[in-house]
Amino acid sequence: MAAAAGSGTPREEEGPSGEAAAPQPQAPTSVPGARLSRLPLARVKALVKADPDVTLAGQEAIFILARAAELFVETIAKDAYCCAQQGKRKTLQRRDLDNAIEAVDEFAFLEDLSIPFPDITVS
Amino acid sequence: MAERPEDLNLPNAVITRIIKEALPDGVNISKEARSAISRAASVFVLYATSCANNFAMKGKRKTLNASDVLSAMEEMEFQRFVTPLKEALEAYRREQKGKKEASEQKKKDKDKKTDAEEQDKSRDEDNEEDEERLEEEEQNEEEEVDN
Repeated sequence: MAAAAGSGTPREEEGPSGEAAAPQPQAPTSVPGARLSRLPLARVKALVKADPDVTLAGQEAIFILARAAELFVETIAKDAYCCAQQGKRKTLQRRDLDNAIEAVDEFAFLEDLSIPFPDITVS
Repeated sequence: MAERPEDLNLPNAVITRIIKEALPDGVNISKEARSAISRAASVFVLYATSCANNFAMKGKRKTLNASDVLSAMEEMEFQRFVTPLKEALEAYRREQKGKKEASEQKKKDKDKKTDAEEQDKSRDEDNEEDEERLEEEEQNEEEEVDN
C-alpha cells in the first residue's frame, strides 16, 4: 500500500514550472528546504536545447542544472558582495561582479560578460 | 515558438529573489548587476550543458543524465556544488516516485472500477447463454421422447 510520503501537497501532474512568459516566482512550500527548484525548468530546458550538440536531456539533468544555476547565483552574489563590502557600500554594483569574476578562478568562463548575450542561433 | 536570445534569460524576479536571500538584509543590488548575474547564470547553464554533453558522448549516450551534469560540475571546478546537488537530486527522485505511485494508484482504482463493471456485464451475458442452452436441451429431450 503506497502511502503518499511525498513532501507538500500533491498538486498537478507536472513538476514545478513557471512556463508562462511572465516570470512567476515560486511560492515556497510548507516544508522548509523542500523547495526543489525555483527556476522554471522549461526555461532551463530551452537553454539546454539551444546547444546544437545536445540531442536529448533527461528530466533529472534539467532539474540538476536548474538547481546548479541557483547555487551559482548565490555563490557569485556572495562573492561580489565581498567586494562591495570592502568599498563599504550596501548596493551591489556591476563592477563588484566584474571584480569577483576576475578574482575567482571558477568564474573564468564568464570573463566576457561585457559582450551582450552570446549569439545563439536556435534553429 | 520563436526563441530569441533574450528569451533564454532566466526570470528576473526569481534571480532577484535568490540574490536577496543569499545576501544579508539591507543589501541592495543595482539593476545592471542583477542583469549581469542573470546573464551569467544563463552562460553557466550553457557551459555546464556543453560539459555534461561531453560526458554523455564519452559514455556513448544521446541523453544527458544527472551524473553527466554532476561530472560537469567537477570538471568546471564547482565541486562544492556536488554534494548539495546530490541531495537535491535524491529529494527530487523521491518526489517523482511519490507522484508516480499516486497516479498509478489512481489508475489502478480506475481500472478496478471498470473491471468490476465489465464483470457484471459478462456475467449477465453468460447467464443468458446458459438459459438458451437449457432451453435447447429441453427441446431435444422432448423430441427424443416423441420418437
